[in-house]
Amino acid sequence: MDIADFLNQLWLARTPLLKGLGMTVSISFLSIAVGTALGVFVGLALTYGYRPMRWLVRGYTDFIRGTPVLVLVLASYYVLSTIGVDLGPFEAGILALSLFCSSHVGELVRGALQSLPGGQTEAAKAIGLSFAQTFAYVLGPQALRRALPAWVNTAAEMVKASTLLSIIGVSELLLRTQEVISRTFLSLEFYFFAGFLYFAINYGIERFGRYVERKTALPA
Amino acid sequence: MMKFGISAAIAAIATLLAVLPAQAQGASSKLDEVLARGHLVMGTGSTNAPWHFKSADDKLQGFDIDMGRIIAKALFGDPDKIEFVNQSSDARIPNITTNKVDVVCQFMTVTGERAQQIAFTIPYYREGVGLMLKAGGKYADYAALKAAGSSATISVLQNVYAESMVHAALPDAKVDQYESVDLIYQALNSGRSDAAATDQSSLAWYMTQNPGHYKDAGYGWNPQTYACGVKRGDQDWLNFVNTALHEAMTGVEFDTYSKSFKTWFGKDLPPPQIGFPVEYK
Repeated sequence: MDIADFLNQLWLARTPLLKGLGMTVSISFLSIAVGTALGVFVGLALTYGYRPMRWLVRGYTDFIRGTPVLVLVLASYYVLSTIGVDLGPFEAGILALSLFCSSHVGELVRGALQSLPGGQTEAAKAIGLSFAQTFAYVLGPQALRRALPAWVNTAAEMVKASTLLSIIGVSELLLRTQEVISRTFLSLEFYFFAGFLYFAINYGIERFGRYVERKTALPA
Repeated sequence: MMKFGISAAIAAIATLLAVLPAQAQGASSKLDEVLARGHLVMGTGSTNAPWHFKSADDKLQGFDIDMGRIIAKALFGDPDKIEFVNQSSDARIPNITTNKVDVVCQFMTVTGERAQQIAFTIPYYREGVGLMLKAGGKYADYAALKAAGSSATISVLQNVYAESMVHAALPDAKVDQYESVDLIYQALNSGRSDAAATDQSSLAWYMTQNPGHYKDAGYGWNPQTYACGVKRGDQDWLNFVNTALHEAMTGVEFDTYSKSFKTWFGKDLPPPQIGFPVEYK
């Protein structure tokens, strides 16, 4: 297909595609932020919680993690409305993705915390730190370093999962791209372009992860 | 038309919803609810020309959209008092049964299975498969294609039924399947195929966009009826939508309907015969 024709159509479609890109970035940012915040608590509960609490949270992670994201998305949109919680497509989508993200982050926080030598906690106790202080000054920073590469992975997964919101009618990048294709018939070109944009977002996340890794690295 | 292989998931959720107690039906109809709200909420898609798709300035347009505006005009005297809920094809039935929309007009094929879940309105279009040829090409029409037997190649969208679908009309033709609509047209343009077979509405729209380049082979098969859908059990509302559509095809709104038909399918409709109602012909 003619490259000039494609560039011309791309220019014509710039506004909807940029809106879609903005929507995809907002969905990803919100669900990663909420999911990560929630996930840290899930991880703490899984590692240090009392037994009944641990069982409860274990059930939550296993259930959410074992369910396809698509099913979570459809459930938050359709099933919740039957019990009177009528969320719009955007809210329902953020809810589903945040829950999914939290179960993954919870597991990787647990893994990172459990990999720390027990002496760390004992030393913190010995100098009289409370649990909150122990986590904030001793365990947290070390766990962050260990969890970071896996977190970048999860964040990239969330960006890709955001495409599923197109099913419930959220105008994110994929749906916007399909709308442009239905008018222009340039499917390969526009899908390729959308793929490039998704790659760019994920590359940005990867760079951000590297930046934090550098900032938190121990001086050699 | 199925885009995603997720109908199974939706069906599972629909089943789940079916076992939940149905919400208490008030005495009043959806018709009163819509009138009180002041605008119609219609579920439709945004990715299928010429049915429901976005214009270059990002506005929803198409034949389904025009049907919605006809219903809105019947309700409020204003075709713009309508809100479109963007939904995928798989969401058509669930969005009706969960009350997310008042009505769905989204090239929905009427089937017995679907009619058990939602109530269909009267039809507003009959879809079928057609064959598009290049103007001035090797074959003049359907008869020539059929006579050519196995030396004619047909480009068609990839589908489990694609081969048998084409062979129902052209038993000996060679069938080439492609991933997307633009590719079947491209195959026709480059001469790799002699005709493109797909929905007649898509062909009509494409020919309207590129006047003079193509021609219809003049044969249609695989009929499918397109109708809007509403929730079951509300005869008042169903009657109202039926009336609005019926009068668009035979009565006061005929000009709106035929103008829309001309825009998206490129054909002029003869006005309904005056005098004895056409329905009883």
